Amino acid sequence: MSVEAHRGFDCFGGTATIHVRAADTAAGEEAADLARKQLLDAHRRLSRFSADSELTRLNEDPRWEVPASPLMLALADAVAQAGSHSGGLVDGTLVDAIERAGYRRSLEGDPPITLEAALASRTERAPAQPHPDRLWRTIGISAADATVIRPPGMKIDSGGIAKGLIADLVGAELRDHRAYAVDCCGDIRIGGSAGQERRVLVDDPFGGGPIHELALRDGAVATSGIGRRCWVDASGAGHHILDPSSGESAFTGIVQATALAPSAFLAEVYAKAALLVGPERAEEWLPHGGVVVRDDKAVEAIAVRQPLSEAAVAA
Amino acid sequence: MDPIENHERKREAQRRRGAQRQKAGELRGRVVAISLICFVLLWGIVFVQMATGNDPVLGNSSSTAKGSGHRHRHRARPTVESDASTDSEEPETSGAGEPEVEQFSEEPAEEEFVEPEEEFSEEEFEAEPVEEAFVEEEPAPVTTSQS
Repeated sequence: MSVEAHRGFDCFGGTATIHVRAADTAAGEEAADLARKQLLDAHRRLSRFSADSELTRLNEDPRWEVPASPLMLALADAVAQAGSHSGGLVDGTLVDAIERAGYRRSLEGDPPITLEAALASRTERAPAQPHPDRLWRTIGISAADATVIRPPGMKIDSGGIAKGLIADLVGAELRDHRAYAVDCCGDIRIGGSAGQERRVLVDDPFGGGPIHELALRDGAVATSGIGRRCWVDASGAGHHILDPSSGESAFTGIVQATALAPSAFLAEVYAKAALLVGPERAEEWLPHGGVVVRDDKAVEAIAVRQPLSEAAVAA
Repeated sequence: MDPIENHERKREAQRRRGAQRQKAGELRGRVVAISLICFVLLWGIVFVQMATGNDPVLGNSSSTAKGSGHRHRHRARPTVESDASTDSEEPETSGAGEPEVEQFSEEPAEEEFVEPEEEFSEEEFEAEPVEEAFVEEEPAPVTTSQS
C-alpha cells in the first residue's frame, strides 16, 4: 500500500502544497517532487515582481507580437478567457491600476492591517463593474508562431488567474496517479484515478478556524478574498482586488468567496466574480456551489445548481 | 379314500396354505418395512447434508473452479438447494441398492474435502477488506484560503 507524498513550499506569494498518492510510495514522492519543480518554475516565469521573469519581459516588450513559451501562451489565453467568462469583471490587464492602487511589490511577509480595520476605514459598498475598454479582448495568441499578440504597453497580470491555470496544468500531469491535490495558494485542483473524495476546508478570512468544509473527487476549488493583501496609504485602506471600472480596491460587501468548478482556472474566475458583484448577485456566479463570507462575518454556503459531473459532461 | 380322511387332507392343505400365506405376508411386511427404513434413512442423510450446506456435487465443481472468479461461488450458494433436488433423485431412479449406500457412506470423506474449500473462501473473504482498506485510506485534507 502506497503512502501519499506531501510537499509544502513558498510559491506565488503564499504557500503551495502538493499531495500525490501513486501506485507505490516512491513513485508518489517522485511525482510530488516533479510537481513542486513545475510550480516553482512557473512562479519564476510568471512573477510580476521579478525583473527578469518572462512575464515582466513580455509586459515591457515594445513589439505587438512577442515570442513566448507555452506557459506564457497559456497565461495570455487564460487572461482573455477570464475576461470573456466573467463579462469583464475578472480583468487581468489592470497592472497599471493595481500599481497605482499601491500593489507595486510582493506583500509576502509584510504585516498587513487587519481586515476589520480595512473594512472600518472604507464604509462605502458597491458592486464592481467591467472596464469600458475591455482591454483583455485585444489579447491573442498564435500557437503556430508561439507568440503573444497584444498592444504594446498593455500589461498582463498573473495574479489568481495564473495560480488556477498552474494548478490545472500540474494536475493534468498527475491525473494518472491514484489521488492528487495541487494547491496553488488557495486555488486547488483535485483528482486521481482512484476517485477518492478529498476534504477541502475553507479558511476564515478573519483569522479563525475553518468556516466550512467541502468534499471533491474530481474538480477544483478556489478562494478569492480581500483580507490577505491589504495595505494603507494616504487614500486609506486598499487591497489587491480592483473594481475594473474605477481601478480602485473593490469593497462590495463580500470579503471572501469560494467557488467550486471543473477546473481551478474557472473556480478562480467564479470566486473573483462572485466577490466583485457583491452579496446580491454572488450566487449567480457560483453555479457549482461555494461559500461566501460577508463584511459582517456572516458565512453563506451556496447550494449546487449544476453538479461538477454534469459540467464535465457539458465541457 | 373315506370321507374323514379326505376332510383331514383338505384341512391339512388349508392349514399349509394358510401357513404359506402367513409366511409370505410376513416376508412382504419385512420387505416393505426394510424398504421404508432404507428410504427414510437415505433421505434423512440427504436432508442433513443439504441442510448443512455440504453438497458433494457442488463441492466437486467448485474445486475445479478455483482459478476462476470466486465471487461466482459465493453467488452460487443460494442455488445449492435447487442443485440438491436433482442430486437427490439419483437414489430413487437407480434404486436403493448397495452401491448407492456406499456412495453416501463416502460422503463424510467428501465433507472433509469441502471444508478446506470453505477455509479458502474465508481467506478470500479476509483478503477483500485488506483491499478495501487500501481504497478507503482518506486523502489528506487541503485548505483553500485567499490567493
